[in-house]
Amino acid sequence: MHIPDGFLTNRLAISLDILSGAGILYAAHRAKIEFSSRRVPIMGVLGAFVFAAQMLNFPILGGTSGHLIGGSLLAILLGPMAGSLTMATVIIAQALFLQDGGLIALGANIFNISAVTCFSGYGIFKLLGGSAGSGKRLLFAGLLSGWLSVMISSACCALMMSLSGAIPIHIGLTTMLGYHAIVGIVEGMLTAGVLSFLFKVRPDLMSIDGMGRFGAADWIGALAFVAIPACILVAAGSSSLPDPLQKLLTVNPPLPETAAGSEMLPSARYADYLMRGGLFVLFIGLWFAISRLTRHRRGGHEA
Amino acid sequence: MTDYAVRITRLGYTYPDGTKALEGIDLDILPGERVAIVGPSGAGKSTLLLHLNGVLESTGSIRIMSSNLDSSNLQQIRKQVGLLFQDPNDQLFCPTVFEDVAFGPLNLSVPPGEIPRRVQKALADAGLDYSMRSRSSHHLSLGERRRVSLAAVLAMEPVILGMDEPTSNLDPRNRRHLINVISGLKATLIIATHDLELVLDVCSRTVLMDHGKIWADGETRAMLANAQLMEMHGLEVPLSLKAVGSG
Amino acid sequence: MRHSFIDRYSALDSPLHLLEPRSKLVAFTTLIIAVLCIPANKGILFFMYFFATAILMGISQVPLTFIMGRVLVILPFIVLATLAAPWRGFPGLAILFIRAILCLLLLILLTNTTRFIELLRGLRKLGCPEILVMNLSFLYRYLFVLTEEAMRMKQARDCRRVGRAPFREELKILSSMLGTLLIRSFERAERMYSAMLSRGFSGEFQVYSPRIFSWRDLTFLSGAALFVVMTFLIL
Repeated sequence: MHIPDGFLTNRLAISLDILSGAGILYAAHRAKIEFSSRRVPIMGVLGAFVFAAQMLNFPILGGTSGHLIGGSLLAILLGPMAGSLTMATVIIAQALFLQDGGLIALGANIFNISAVTCFSGYGIFKLLGGSAGSGKRLLFAGLLSGWLSVMISSACCALMMSLSGAIPIHIGLTTMLGYHAIVGIVEGMLTAGVLSFLFKVRPDLMSIDGMGRFGAADWIGALAFVAIPACILVAAGSSSLPDPLQKLLTVNPPLPETAAGSEMLPSARYADYLMRGGLFVLFIGLWFAISRLTRHRRGGHEA
Repeated sequence: MTDYAVRITRLGYTYPDGTKALEGIDLDILPGERVAIVGPSGAGKSTLLLHLNGVLESTGSIRIMSSNLDSSNLQQIRKQVGLLFQDPNDQLFCPTVFEDVAFGPLNLSVPPGEIPRRVQKALADAGLDYSMRSRSSHHLSLGERRRVSLAAVLAMEPVILGMDEPTSNLDPRNRRHLINVISGLKATLIIATHDLELVLDVCSRTVLMDHGKIWADGETRAMLANAQLMEMHGLEVPLSLKAVGSG
Repeated sequence: MRHSFIDRYSALDSPLHLLEPRSKLVAFTTLIIAVLCIPANKGILFFMYFFATAILMGISQVPLTFIMGRVLVILPFIVLATLAAPWRGFPGLAILFIRAILCLLLLILLTNTTRFIELLRGLRKLGCPEILVMNLSFLYRYLFVLTEEAMRMKQARDCRRVGRAPFREELKILSSMLGTLLIRSFERAERMYSAMLSRGFSGEFQVYSPRIFSWRDLTFLSGAALFVVMTFLIL
């Protein structure tokens, strides 16, 4: 689900903007190094494919219909880096063309719908040995990868909304997970279906030359990239983050602090924000420095 | 020794899955010549064209205007050899006509002040008005897109022009218009096509390809009137020649 | 088709349309952030921003019906998300709702007074990575081509069946349609790349077209900045 502007706390929205922005810069950086430049136009064209594919509806359960979201499919075909970059392109285009999802909430939407679906979809597919086998194994891995990626993504969305006090966490999780359990089935089936079609017709597309191959070190890095800022946020003594969580876990909590309730910044808060901003920038800078230093070890295909 | 525009020697190309697309191709073309490449589908015509500017590379050698084509001088070769692809949608990837036509010159480091003039000239050479420049290519008809694609290639001012099925899917008027444009071009032309009337109209020399090899190379009318040769390679004698031949 | 929907009113001549894309991006983003920072107890600020937005809407010459149409599409999500926290009571809910609508209106204004390509150029000049802008550009261009293909495939599918096929069958058909569309996308990207190479592409997109930063932009930016500062000084 694309979150419109106004439902996330500014702190959360802007933190996610910075996080997603850094992620995109990093993925773009990796893309330039690793992908032969002939592959680069593919991301744009596949972005258009995702748009077009979302118009092809699949009827489920009477009147409703679902469609392919495409995150895990793209990640499986292109690798999670290129896949999430492509999906990020789609999210941005959706915000600009259709105003689907807010402007400041772009970081959050990119995180949920592109990063989370792509990385979790890819990881699950690999874990289930989908790339090794064919036939039943491929179908199974594709199915679960599609379904779980949607579930995890919707859980993240629910978490974000409840951290912002827009919805109690238990209601948020149950409704989001419940709804997306059904939607996810469509995703899973279509992901599996397309993968097996490709395997039959164009198996060469299934193993696109070394694009964004993701090693163990990369996984640790990706997890750290999310976990560390999250810890910083919490550990930096944020007064509002534990509180809404606490409040939301009780039934009918009093007015929680939300985007609606955010006070104008007195100078103490300024220092708070400054420190947090500084830590973020420092972290991102470190990340870039490390990736640049390890660039030669990464190697990869040149044009 | 004559200065050839294009000298292809023993060119061979194999697809990744092992099928031979081209075998032992020898072809020499003089500057200013207009050569047609005809043959059934799958003969390798398009594949051959893609070798002229190094998009595909393989065994054998190619000389363009007395320079050997290899990976070190691709940019220079592409300045001299223009390729018009079959599907305009593949070639018009910029948001406006102007940008598509300007794409080539910009890549050739033509100074920005020069660009509008080049675009205007290229559009005019392709039979289009400069006022079209702000339009988006997806709003154009196929005939217009074809011409914009041609303009985009002409903007690079190539001396050799390869074309892949330039008249396919065009209605009679657009087709006639395009043929007129092509006839007026000064570059060396290499046209791969099924449109044999076009060949008769524009090209004095024809090369017949089938199964990746060249089977005949000579004067156009004589070759196309040879019913046995044509039928052997999945083609037909064009109607206009039949009418002349009968009675 | 869909494209004319996207860029339908972005080629008008209003003062907003004539601004340079960078200034619009900066100004509207600032305004949206400002709206997001309005505290719940300063209701008057909402009115002021609504008033300002209404003025901008008027200046933009984009038809009201069109804007309302766009709002209507996103409205269900906003309503749903608002009603998810019913404990907040009427004033709280109203504020949440108004805030969301205001941000939406500002976004609609930004994207409908700027041609998409101009927006991309603005993003690029503001430092957005080349690869992202390039891919957005290709997405925009090929959106039309691919949706056409998708629609044709849909029509062909619809022509060949009566009623609804069993679930399994539907799944197979849709999977093969998507798969085919995907393969065609890959192949098109390859051919497009060949065409780019043939026209001298060597890795970097060369940018042409200067949109000059003029007095208009300066006025607009300073106007927006002034407005934001003044409204927040009324604490």
